Amino acid sequence: MSSELARPGLWTRAQRGSVERLHIRLESLLVLLALAAVMAALSPYFLSFSNFLNILLATSTIGILAIAATFVISAGGLDLSLGSVMGLSGVAGAFVTVNLGVPWGLGVLACILTGALAGTVNGQLVTRALVPAFIVTLGMLGIARGLALVISGGRVIYGLPPELLYLGQGRPFGIPMPVVIFVATAIVAHCVLAYTRFGRHTLAIGDSEGAARAAGIRVDRHRRVLYTLSGALAGLAGMLFMARINSGDPTAGLNYELTAITAAIIGGTNLFGGRGSILGTMIGALIMGVLQNGLNLLAVQSYYQQMAIGAVLILAVFIDQYQIRKETRS
Amino acid sequence: MGRRLATIRGSALALALAVMSTGPGVLAQDGQYAVLMKTLSNPFWGAMGQGVEDGAKEAGIDYFIQAVESDQAAEPQLNVCNTMLERQPVAMITAAINSTNLLPCLKTAQDRGIPIVDLDANLDPAVLEAEGIEIAFRIGSDNVAAGAQGAEYLVSRLGAEATGPVLVIEGLSGNITGQRRAQGFAQRLGELAPGLEIVASLPGDWDRGKAASITNDILTRHPDLVAIFAANDGMALGAVEAVYAAGLGDQVTIIGVDGNSDAVKSIRDGRLNASVAQLPYLVGKQAVENVKKVLAGETVPKDIAVPTLVLTREVLEEGSEPLLQYVK
Repeated sequence: MSSELARPGLWTRAQRGSVERLHIRLESLLVLLALAAVMAALSPYFLSFSNFLNILLATSTIGILAIAATFVISAGGLDLSLGSVMGLSGVAGAFVTVNLGVPWGLGVLACILTGALAGTVNGQLVTRALVPAFIVTLGMLGIARGLALVISGGRVIYGLPPELLYLGQGRPFGIPMPVVIFVATAIVAHCVLAYTRFGRHTLAIGDSEGAARAAGIRVDRHRRVLYTLSGALAGLAGMLFMARINSGDPTAGLNYELTAITAAIIGGTNLFGGRGSILGTMIGALIMGVLQNGLNLLAVQSYYQQMAIGAVLILAVFIDQYQIRKETRS
Repeated sequence: MGRRLATIRGSALALALAVMSTGPGVLAQDGQYAVLMKTLSNPFWGAMGQGVEDGAKEAGIDYFIQAVESDQAAEPQLNVCNTMLERQPVAMITAAINSTNLLPCLKTAQDRGIPIVDLDANLDPAVLEAEGIEIAFRIGSDNVAAGAQGAEYLVSRLGAEATGPVLVIEGLSGNITGQRRAQGFAQRLGELAPGLEIVASLPGDWDRGKAASITNDILTRHPDLVAIFAANDGMALGAVEAVYAAGLGDQVTIIGVDGNSDAVKSIRDGRLNASVAQLPYLVGKQAVENVKKVLAGETVPKDIAVPTLVLTREVLEEGSEPLLQYVK
């Protein structure tokens, strides 16, 4: 820290560089590294390859939901139905493969399409019926969870075909499949949001809907695509968890929407749109993952974990606001 | 600017440290038992955790215990389970949230030769067999027997020749625990006092208010109702309110299951007639004791049923029943 004081230019340049090239705030990366260092010092089990994979595996479903949240939020929207749609998708996939006996590939498709369908309904209602996104997706949260319980009769649907299980339990080169799928999804999503026209339009709508409209962006259509994408990603997360535990669990993803939004915000996404990056969100998700994993290794009660994550959320936004104030001043 | 930022970053670290130092700061050693509960924010699981602690202390066992924020946090529990394995425990005692959410973790444990205990019998034997997971033993209350004990108490109070309508309030529809209790009650009642007829067996969803309205509805149709069996104490207490509101407190015998503190209070007040108490404290304690035996190479039964105890005003006032000390 003292070297920064001696040469303030270096710190500022590093900050600027990370924002421009990687689309992340350097501070969040530092918090992540500091947390990891603290955990490594406190627990002898933290620094190991298997524990590293463990953290990624534990972050995979939440991480994919956080990607969905980033897309929707950075366009000025909100999707509160993520966790419920994830649960519904897993149940739908398990239902068609176990109870109807369709091939495993269709099971995967059923998960993602179920999610996409729920997302499409959200998008239609938000853009055509003009019901606020908060209300629409809050309603979908209840509808999707209820439907999952109805389809499954309130119990897990057990016994998926082995090919499907591979997607959740397989370990190519020792790396769990959900981690492979999660990382691949994150890379693609990052490139889409950071480097494509689709991504630029997303951020432009979040920044100022009026300006985006004036610039000729078809805002409503774009919004519908975003909600559908969000639902499809929730479906993917549902499929991964379903394959991990070999069953469709109607309670899967309970309260995950808030955790996913938290990860996106810690990662630097602006809750009111206009700013967001998937890489930042991934760092946010990993901060939470490392915190949880470390506290679990230290056998700290889950009550304290919730407090810690709440505190990190407020701290992250505080640092963010502080930076913005500083930039606007200079 | 730089200094102020450094302060912010420093306080983030201090915060993380402060949070961690509030927990049990002991680092893991080899030879620990890992105990994974659903949640500790409910008296039943709290008592079981207490039993684990006391059992471990008596047997000189080192253990660490973890739980998740709610009894529906299926994936968080799986993640905690995986993390617990990183600490290389010698035994894994788990109370799974449902019959499948811990499967990948249990498989890994089995591959590493760590014995698995099914605490409170939440795992489905058929699923375990399909997954090729062999557990050391399962331990918990026998819910069918608990229901049967309820029926025995009722018949001891009303006599085998008694006649009249009886209401059964089940748990959440589809929930196996509630079904077993209701089934055990109905079966034994049919054997002991065929004159007592179950006129309705309805799901009360573990909900006090719902149980109260079911009771109201049935009392309208059968004002001569003689008994109510509810699959847990919360619902039994709901039934108590409805029955007393109808002024039929002396006519209807009400029985619950669990033996929780609210129920004990109601029994002492002479409102609820009986509760078939589970002894979660004993479940936790015996689980630890039996794992020690397994690790020492002794054989233990695959299914360990911890007894349940019928609590009545007499039992509570006499206080001579030896199992009473485990009612927390």
